Amino acid sequence: MGLLAGKRVFSIMALCMMVGLLLLPIVVALPSPAIGGDAPAGDAAKKDGDKVEKGRDVYYKTEGIVVGAPAPKTTDGPKDYPRYNFESRVLLWFANQQHLYYGSFVLAVPIFCMIIEFMGVVTKDKALAKRYDQLAYDFIKISLTAYSLTAILGGILIFTFLTLYPAFFSYLSGIFRPVMHIYALMFVAESGTLYIYYYGWDKMKEGFLKWIHLSMSVILNVIGTLLMFLANSWIGFMMSPAGVDEQGRYLGNIWHVIHTALWNPLNLHRILGNMAFGGGVVAAYAAYKFLASKTDEDRAHYDWMGYIAMALGVAFLIPLPFAGYWLMREVYAYRQQMGITLMGGLLAWLFIIQATMIGILFLSTNYYLWQAMGRMRGAEKYQRYIKYLVFILACGYMVFITPHTMVMTPAELKAMGGQQHPVLGNYGVMSAKNGGINVIITTTVLSFVWYMRGNKVSTVSWAKFGNIFMGVFFACAYFNIIFLAVYGYYIPANVRVGLSVPQVATTLSCLFFMFALNSVMMKGAKQMGPIEWGKISARSQYALIMLATAFTWMMGLMGYIRSSVRLFWHVNEIMRDNSPWAYTHTVGFAANMISANVLFFWISILFVFWLGSLTAKKVPVESRAGIPGSVPQPAASH
Amino acid sequence: MKALMSLGALIGVAGLLLLGGMVFDVVPSTTIRLVEGYMPIQMLLEVACYVIGFTGLSYIMGAMGMAIPRFWQGIGFWVFLMLYLKFRVYPPIPFSVRAMYGTVGLVTVFMWVSANEEDWNKFKQPIMNVLDAQTGMKRLLRYAYLVAIPILVGGFSFNAMMPKSEEPIELRTVHPAPPASTKVHGKTYTLQTSQNPYRVNPEGKYDQEFSNANIVEQGMGRLMKPNANPWDDKNQGYLKYVREGGEIFFQNCHFCHGDNLNGRGLHAFAFNPIPANFTDPGTIAQLQETFIFWRVAKGGIGLPNEGFPWASVMPPWEQHLTVDEIWKVVLFEYWHTGYYPRTWD
Repeated sequence: MGLLAGKRVFSIMALCMMVGLLLLPIVVALPSPAIGGDAPAGDAAKKDGDKVEKGRDVYYKTEGIVVGAPAPKTTDGPKDYPRYNFESRVLLWFANQQHLYYGSFVLAVPIFCMIIEFMGVVTKDKALAKRYDQLAYDFIKISLTAYSLTAILGGILIFTFLTLYPAFFSYLSGIFRPVMHIYALMFVAESGTLYIYYYGWDKMKEGFLKWIHLSMSVILNVIGTLLMFLANSWIGFMMSPAGVDEQGRYLGNIWHVIHTALWNPLNLHRILGNMAFGGGVVAAYAAYKFLASKTDEDRAHYDWMGYIAMALGVAFLIPLPFAGYWLMREVYAYRQQMGITLMGGLLAWLFIIQATMIGILFLSTNYYLWQAMGRMRGAEKYQRYIKYLVFILACGYMVFITPHTMVMTPAELKAMGGQQHPVLGNYGVMSAKNGGINVIITTTVLSFVWYMRGNKVSTVSWAKFGNIFMGVFFACAYFNIIFLAVYGYYIPANVRVGLSVPQVATTLSCLFFMFALNSVMMKGAKQMGPIEWGKISARSQYALIMLATAFTWMMGLMGYIRSSVRLFWHVNEIMRDNSPWAYTHTVGFAANMISANVLFFWISILFVFWLGSLTAKKVPVESRAGIPGSVPQPAASH
Repeated sequence: MKALMSLGALIGVAGLLLLGGMVFDVVPSTTIRLVEGYMPIQMLLEVACYVIGFTGLSYIMGAMGMAIPRFWQGIGFWVFLMLYLKFRVYPPIPFSVRAMYGTVGLVTVFMWVSANEEDWNKFKQPIMNVLDAQTGMKRLLRYAYLVAIPILVGGFSFNAMMPKSEEPIELRTVHPAPPASTKVHGKTYTLQTSQNPYRVNPEGKYDQEFSNANIVEQGMGRLMKPNANPWDDKNQGYLKYVREGGEIFFQNCHFCHGDNLNGRGLHAFAFNPIPANFTDPGTIAQLQETFIFWRVAKGGIGLPNEGFPWASVMPPWEQHLTVDEIWKVVLFEYWHTGYYPRTWD
């Protein structure tokens, strides 16, 4: 009893310490706007009277006292751009991308841990609860090794900035001085919390202590998310500066500098993106372990792990295009030029590649689910209809990836009789593309619904009506999405943009209503047989690896697009990039660079996985053999 | 069910005969016309009809005891898709797009034939048979593939690497991002906020809804709305300005952009690329009116860096037209094509 009470006290103290760590940076930062930024200027204002120089915020249009130096006007030379005999931008690109990959991974995985640990705590099935707990522990173990690498890569990134772009970094750190200090302290808080969370796992595995442990994961994720928000403020400032005047002089309001036009859309997009990416990486890890497994038991475990990670990743992938849409909308609202450069001009072809990658993500997900139906008895009834889903997906995908301005030889251009193809050119505009992606997502929802009811037969009295209702609902959804896509050609552009709302609403209705209805229908359903975990084709696991690779590639691509939309500016319209590399790379070079980054990341993360496997914790036998036959059966855990 | 499948099979046979005729140039591609205004959805519906047809055919053949092996179904569908894109759709689709569709076609055929173990086994059976080579014939086939596949790959590689005499492919940015503002005849116009001074209602106020109600109808025919004929001398205000814009257009622009504004004017085919087709939903329909104003005023020579390779010979019309004339001609282009200029509100 005394030991338990001691543990409780220890746990509560640990939790308090985490809260303290979370609050520490805020407490430290509180005086900074008062005395670090505004106050000297204010004092100076009192002393010098009229000599105070005021500036106008380029974004908020408010007046403020100038407290910073103007953005440096750099020149191409060793002073502003010291270099090796190599393109500095490429070095920075590499360092940045690798740091971002690992950063995303270590921010996403604790969120998964939190969700999975919570599922374990609330699950009544003890064997299943242990499996969830073990899974969460496995995740955080992988994350811990990756965490060190993230910090190392962050250091490399800062050194790269300092040594290759000193003028720019000096300007940025001058403006974000307090934010950077808070960031560093938050990093300390994140590390402390993570270690307590990880090393306290075994000590706090039951009862009240488990809830304390779960609360720690919440704090860990709050700190992680705040860290990301702060880092986002720097790139938000580079794209859409605020809080400075036209010369780039800081006007003393740190909130304006952080809260730029694109900060919030970037925050949301990155949270969802990190989660989808994290899910993909863990699913790929599980797939790799599945393929390398020697026993049925291991195959069952990693099949289940892959499924959970995929489901979590896809759950965040589905809203991701809508968050991206919001981001683009805000980009257009901020600067029309920037929006056109992105989606209609110089970078438009990269968006076609992005569309291709998004399509691959959804195709892989659907394929995995169809394969997964193979491990359920009773799912055969849906198999024969899969070919129609393939057809619908293919049509949506082809429309989605059709470029408006096609790549063609001059001879083809003449034969076509114009820059736009009269038939396919129509697929190249947003109206058709919105239709295409919504058809793809709705079909993915349909695949999920089929998967969820694969081995079950509804026993509710209104099952027939429910099935007909669901069929009609999906048919109407497809009709509505396609009708709106066609109708979009006949109305003004501003109304057309608004049409995406009912299209998205239709897709989300399918997602929420159909999932809810299906769950109600399948409550107490007759099971045709258990889910035979581990009895899934190897192709499904390659689909998971494909999913993860596509996530990684797309993340690299979108990061490149977001960064290169500034064209020849370090800070958009404030600080010009005068290095010899202030031009936009060719599509081919960018694609090769992204591929190299993806390849490096996967090789290095394989190393991380290997390191993780060296300290593999033996899984308690009872948690892996809940059901006779040694293959675990969490059949109800769709 | 059988009747439905028979009907499907009939559609399938008719479709295949038509496509075969187009491939061998017996039947022109235009036999079943792609109707302007409905082309994109028509194409998708046609492919859907083919899929229904193939389902019917497969069912009937199976019922007759002559089921088509899954392997050949997969290969056959992909070949059909490629032939359809090459010979049915006109004008010809550039190779790059056909290659994209072909790749998607391959992936989807793979997804279809491997969606479950039974189908996958059926599909790969002929391949496994050849690889196992249990019979003399299969052994012969295996050796034939052993020789043919490297030769084919080598041939494709040789063709891909061989220097070609044709002009290289260009990734042209047709609509480069405009500047924030542009100066025409000494006055600066902010592109995001400027408005066409002639898009006005009878009270003389800027009113896009009013002008939208008086443009020609889109789709087949492009008919004028009743009582909205700019060439009626009695019409004043917006419609009068459209008429004046039309006069300027036919005096200056239609030689290249065509009297239907579809980029097929008298001189159009002397240029490469040919002039912009305003009736395409991807040109002026996607852009703000001020974008068109800027492009007309500054011409090809005023394209920004992003407009590489600056493949436009349009003159900078500010040297020939007044600001008012440029706004009026832009007004006319939107009226004639039946499109609404993009707005951001």
